Amino acid sequence: MMHKWGMVIDLDRCSGCQACMAACHAENNIAIVGPEEAAKGRTIHWIELLPYIEGEFPHIKARLLPRPCMHCEHPACIKVCPVGATYANEEGIVGIIHSRCIGCRYCTTACPYTVRSFNWYEPRWPKEMKGSLNRDVSVRKKGVVEKCSFCHHRLLRAREKARAENRELLPDDYIPACVQACPSQAMYFGDLNDPFSKVSELSRERRAFKLLEDLGTEPKVIYLSEGM
Amino acid sequence: MKFSRRDFLKMGGGVGVAMALGGGFVQWTHWPESDSSNAPGIEKWIPTICGQCTGGCGTLVRVIDGWAVNIAGNPLHPLNRGTLCPKGIAGLQALYDPDRLRSPLKRIGNRGEGHFEPISWKEALHQVSKVLIELREKGETHQLVVLGGRYRGLMRSLWERFLKAFGSPNYIDNQFRWEDPPLEGLLLTQGIYDLPAYDIEKAQYILSFGSGILESFWSPVQMLRGYGHFRRGRPGLRGRFVQIESRLSSTGIKADEWVPIQPGTEGVLALGIAHMILKEGLYHKAFIAEQAFGFENWKDSEGREHLGFKEFILSEYEPAVVSKQTGVPIDQIIRLAREFSSNLPSLAIGYRDRPFHQMAVSVLNGLVGSIDVPGGLLIPRSVPYRPFPSFSEDTIAQRGNSQRPLFGRNEGVGSPSYLFAKNVISGKPYKPKVLFLYYTNPLFSNPNPEYFFKAFQEIPLIISFSPYLDDSTKFSDLVLPDHTPFERWQDDPVFLSNGFPALGIRQPVVSPLYQTKATGDFLLEIVRELGGQIQKALPWNEFKEVMIYCLRGVFEAKRGDIFGLQFDEAWTRLLQRGGWSVPTYQTFEEFLNLLYEKGGWWDPVYDFGERSRVFRTPSNKFEFYAQGSQKTLFPVGKIKDSNVLPHAEDLKQGETDQPYPFTLHVFRTISLTGGRNANQPWLQSMVGQHLFERWRTWVEINPETAKKMSISDGDWVWVESRRGRIKAIARHYKGTLPNVVNIPFGQGHRGGGRWSKGIGENPYHLIDDHLDPVTGFPVQGTTKVKIYKA
Repeated sequence: MMHKWGMVIDLDRCSGCQACMAACHAENNIAIVGPEEAAKGRTIHWIELLPYIEGEFPHIKARLLPRPCMHCEHPACIKVCPVGATYANEEGIVGIIHSRCIGCRYCTTACPYTVRSFNWYEPRWPKEMKGSLNRDVSVRKKGVVEKCSFCHHRLLRAREKARAENRELLPDDYIPACVQACPSQAMYFGDLNDPFSKVSELSRERRAFKLLEDLGTEPKVIYLSEGM
Repeated sequence: MKFSRRDFLKMGGGVGVAMALGGGFVQWTHWPESDSSNAPGIEKWIPTICGQCTGGCGTLVRVIDGWAVNIAGNPLHPLNRGTLCPKGIAGLQALYDPDRLRSPLKRIGNRGEGHFEPISWKEALHQVSKVLIELREKGETHQLVVLGGRYRGLMRSLWERFLKAFGSPNYIDNQFRWEDPPLEGLLLTQGIYDLPAYDIEKAQYILSFGSGILESFWSPVQMLRGYGHFRRGRPGLRGRFVQIESRLSSTGIKADEWVPIQPGTEGVLALGIAHMILKEGLYHKAFIAEQAFGFENWKDSEGREHLGFKEFILSEYEPAVVSKQTGVPIDQIIRLAREFSSNLPSLAIGYRDRPFHQMAVSVLNGLVGSIDVPGGLLIPRSVPYRPFPSFSEDTIAQRGNSQRPLFGRNEGVGSPSYLFAKNVISGKPYKPKVLFLYYTNPLFSNPNPEYFFKAFQEIPLIISFSPYLDDSTKFSDLVLPDHTPFERWQDDPVFLSNGFPALGIRQPVVSPLYQTKATGDFLLEIVRELGGQIQKALPWNEFKEVMIYCLRGVFEAKRGDIFGLQFDEAWTRLLQRGGWSVPTYQTFEEFLNLLYEKGGWWDPVYDFGERSRVFRTPSNKFEFYAQGSQKTLFPVGKIKDSNVLPHAEDLKQGETDQPYPFTLHVFRTISLTGGRNANQPWLQSMVGQHLFERWRTWVEINPETAKKMSISDGDWVWVESRRGRIKAIARHYKGTLPNVVNIPFGQGHRGGGRWSKGIGENPYHLIDDHLDPVTGFPVQGTTKVKIYKA
């Protein structure tokens, strides 16, 4: 059976440290957005720690929630793209063909999880830094939209390696950078089609929920709630 | 600088080759194949130790064509097991900061203006040794001062040995940080002045008294890993965690319960909780009977009656009294006392508040017997280095060493750096002539940096070894840039939260990018120039030799083993318990090679019940009555019993409430925990994620208070104390007390490069110069401010 890649984030383990965000930046050559642009809300994060603060002082309940792309089974972004730049592959990973993107940003508006970012500027790195970019991931140009790819390039490499070693792809062969970095081990990644995989097991837990489930998008990122 | 797709393809052209040769993405649970060749496009993963904070995490750096292109956790390092925090990953941007110093620099123009000209290392060596020889000739060796910051290992031993051989008693330690664990509390109760381990993985209940265990802990990743385990790692058991703090930090957000409290009164609440534990008889009777001193009233050898802890706390700290001071409701105090003493093992963790507030938190662990037990506070053994050989000082050195040290404090308790600055300003007992700055930046990262500005002006020659033009380096006369941690050798002795000692090895992963030099190597060059007894005391050519000399002790200790995967741990322990030691190495060379290849050594055993290690107090017990403190903290005069029992300290509150109605609380977020990380855009773009704040300084105000003052969310405001004012963005944050404002530390560099200089403001400029009499460090939470629209 085809793989169906998915992620589980255990909010009870998550410490809100943002290692996932930094790991993603390093892995995916996300453009440096300076103070002026950041003040306009133009920073790019493929995974971002979102705060939810409810109640009034001193009775406050706050939550921190890491949010990557949900890689929905029924993604709104694909339906609105006029040029077919956004697609879902047969394993359910939602991708972007950056050279096709015309920068209309319909998808950034359509995505209910606001996971997509627009490149307002030509990405720039000082020459002292250029050689330290990840060579497995392309750099995006000004005027295109980008988002989390579940580190798809890692899957490609892992497949190559498995093939070269003449074996099946193993569960540990492929994990995204954020999952690898997570110090409190709150993130899990794997095949949702395999009923015995860790992510499948966890997705059946009592604490499991998905974001904005009623929209019918069927996210492949599953959260486990805090508390008992 | 444009960056086209074509450039990128050219650069990444080697990737295809790498994949075909099977050098693909490393499976993080497996050890990558080591590849000694460095053919184009072939990747290597080199183990080293992160240098972004004092955490000591093991990392693997992915190197392609001589470039470091990514950093991951070293899966074999037991401290972080393949994971990292955001700072660790952003280390790449610390290495490739385009504004790093590229050669030694000599000041031209006025001090502090930041005008320098490059000089050669030969010239630098000549200049420094000339000055030092002159000090020796004039018998002024004691006027050389080394101000050292937050680093670990043999570099410290090397500096101290150098100073001893040279003839100066002035190594000034500038490591004190409010956010550290309560070291003075540990000194008072257990007679140990070093970091303890908190075994949070096995704890059931954690009561944090303002400790940012998920943000600003000295070794964040092991705490974060431990936290995950504490919550969900034990089937059927979920640890409960309560955060007592004036501000709702992200640690507070993750806690099960946030207890808002007036800043600086966390220790008073601890006394109230102790009161309830005593009153309800919930304390650990066996521990108190066998391992505690000063719990009940007692008689000394001269037959004098002394007040004990129990009677004192029961008479002084009724919940009603404590509630009034702290703002915490009485029923909550009672509930916390019951929860803390009935969910064993439980842990109380504080911060480096005033000493007897720290002690109040420390005695809670004693009350429930959480000392030297699984899930409690542990005292780790140190890494068994071979000590340096003995040497004799020459007469010049002897004369210099016998001078009064500039920090003047006996026993080295607290922070000597402010007393040093004070003595420099007053010129008593003497003024220093040469100051070395190593791994420290007091003009930025010490509260009230003006204190050090004034002192620095009195010192004729300041030499900085920083790789960056930080605030203090900008004020120096000579800059001799060190390698970054990615370019040099260094040992990193550390311990894990379960008390196991570990030794990480930092090794160069890329060749030095610029004309920089490891400070240890440079120091040994100076030693050779000075010759004589000094060279005999430090007979090494480079720092790596020093390291190898001392590592022999680890090899010969017949304990522990090279880092391995987790199943090795149990195996090693089993063998060692049975009196066996079967390490994976036989010879010293083999040991060294394995150290470099796997990243380090550890000893996965904690010896419980070694009283002499755990209690180094006069009574050889856990002291509820700090006998040992009489000598260290109050060297003169007669002391009252209530002075050495945990008690509420004078808070200096209400002094100048009128013009300055708010208390200033300075906090740290995980991205900019140290003063070292502002030059990294990845971290800058996530500084205050709870308010989506990035690349600037904000001030958190309670929304109701702000509305009353007509300050809207996002307004520019001035925050003014008696010492000065800074401009910041006002942010309405519900997790703020109505009479407190919070400002993050980490921004506002006056030196530095394009990503740190002039970005945001440094709240430490607002801090009062009110120093604690015991620690000699400014007191957190006593500075008052007012706020108005800019």
